Amino acid sequence: MKVMVCLKQVPHQDARLDVNADGTWIQEDNIKFEINSYDTYAVEEALRLKDAGDAEVVVVSIGPDRVTAALRTALGMGADRAIHVNDPAAQGADALGIAKTLAAVAKEEGADVIFAGLMAEDDNASAIPPMVAELLGFPSATGVLATDFSADTVTVERELEGGALEVVELPKPCLIAIQSGANQVRYASLKGIMQAKKKPVDVKTLADLGLAESASAAQNKTTVNKVYVPAKGDTAEILSGSTDEVVGQLVTKIKELGLL
Amino acid sequence: MGTILVVAEIQKGAIREASYELVAAARGIEGAEVNGLVIGSGVGDLASEFASKGAGKTLVVDDPAAANYNVDVWSKAIKAAAEASGADLILISNTPTGWDVAPRIAAGLDCAFVSDAIRVAGGDGGYNLVRRIFNGKLDAEVSTSGQTVVSMQPGAGTTYEGSSDGGTETLSADLSAIAKFVEIKIAASTGVDLTKADVIVSGGRGVGDPEKFPEIIQPLADALGGAMGASRPVVDAGWLDHPYQVGSSGQIVAPKLYIAAGISGAIQHLVGMKASNFIVAVNKDPDAPIFEVADVGVVADLFDIVPALTEAVKAAKG
Repeated sequence: MKVMVCLKQVPHQDARLDVNADGTWIQEDNIKFEINSYDTYAVEEALRLKDAGDAEVVVVSIGPDRVTAALRTALGMGADRAIHVNDPAAQGADALGIAKTLAAVAKEEGADVIFAGLMAEDDNASAIPPMVAELLGFPSATGVLATDFSADTVTVERELEGGALEVVELPKPCLIAIQSGANQVRYASLKGIMQAKKKPVDVKTLADLGLAESASAAQNKTTVNKVYVPAKGDTAEILSGSTDEVVGQLVTKIKELGLL
Repeated sequence: MGTILVVAEIQKGAIREASYELVAAARGIEGAEVNGLVIGSGVGDLASEFASKGAGKTLVVDDPAAANYNVDVWSKAIKAAAEASGADLILISNTPTGWDVAPRIAAGLDCAFVSDAIRVAGGDGGYNLVRRIFNGKLDAEVSTSGQTVVSMQPGAGTTYEGSSDGGTETLSADLSAIAKFVEIKIAASTGVDLTKADVIVSGGRGVGDPEKFPEIIQPLADALGGAMGASRPVVDAGWLDHPYQVGSSGQIVAPKLYIAAGISGAIQHLVGMKASNFIVAVNKDPDAPIFEVADVGVVADLFDIVPALTEAVKAAKG
């Protein structure tokens, strides 16, 4: 079975976020990057499938040179191969453009199952995975916390509000967008990291995929114009002083609530 | 401006509030004609209600195949409605249904897509939207060109309170599906019912490791006669079980006092606790979104504040 995992490299969750000079994104120089946490759960779910039987796991990511490190991490965790779409024309492509690129890779690979994280922690968009499924004509399910594979289908549990779960059966080929907390993500072992150095990372451009005229940023229908720190409301009373002073003020307020 | 198609979502036999937030957003766009869409089985009355409470002329896809949410059924129904109404803008709520189907609609129509928008307005040949990124730390202004699908963040806007005199119109569509609905599983109750607590003390990722929950967070909850809660990352990491989770996919709470320690305030968490009577937030990061809903904020290390507060509360109780 050919399993493809789409992953995105995003700023580290503790990275300092400063808006860049022209206000169009954050400053990316001098910050650490990591695999989007939702995608780590997706990689893990794919690797469990591989552990259980006969699956080849191919991880795919789109982005500049720094993305190689994210792909090597996934290879270190146990993925078999990686594909890196590294093309300046794809920089700043919107969700649909990225989805077209991932769908083209999935077609070339003959993917039976595509995993992705539910959303990226930078844009929080949760846009791309269902788009990829639509472009391929695959059924899809998002926010998945559990997968159960049989020969021709996958039964998944989708997270709904309030802790409820929706059980859906998807015939293969299909796409599954994994929710955070679906599993416990494995660390890349030292042996895995060493082996990863020898695993293939195929680098492609949009032209290689026949997408130079259809999936580059030039075709964007959606544009992020400005990014900024939101104006703060001033409804919160911010307490200041020493720990004892602050704690004293808190105790007073708790008394006023009638709770002490 | 053309037609705006507002897609309703039904929850527990009623059209949910978030759908009326979409109506308000649509009616806020100058010069647009608003149409509604209701999908389900036996939903004629709900469709009439939607049509009279702001959605305008409402298309109804009423079919046993639509009795339960199904991504293929909804995808086909919405595309058929978009075509029938000539909609230039399609609005849906960013709920588990919305984030499941809305991107597929946009890809199927080969059009612009913006998710989790908090504001929408007409733009130059398209639409202008505002949405939050980096888990609520930054805002982004986005513009689209041409036909656009937008999912809107539930709770971000007001609900429409007026009326409209649209009627309903049955829409037939091929609703054949590849995906198959099996069942809904409701979470079994486990005895951790945070909705009954007068006081909740919740810890987030800032608490740092699982041992600190029984060591630091639980004692404050106990001193105040309340319950301990957690944000999603804590549960994802396996530090506490799901019943402790406060948020859109956990418990929605509104206690007399909610203390959030080391919680940044991502929207999924805020949805779960912002209705609390009094909110105290303790976080080292002065820009944490949690301070936007707090009544009182303390920008400090929770390991300094929380144990000291626990001792002070015990002393006050005598």
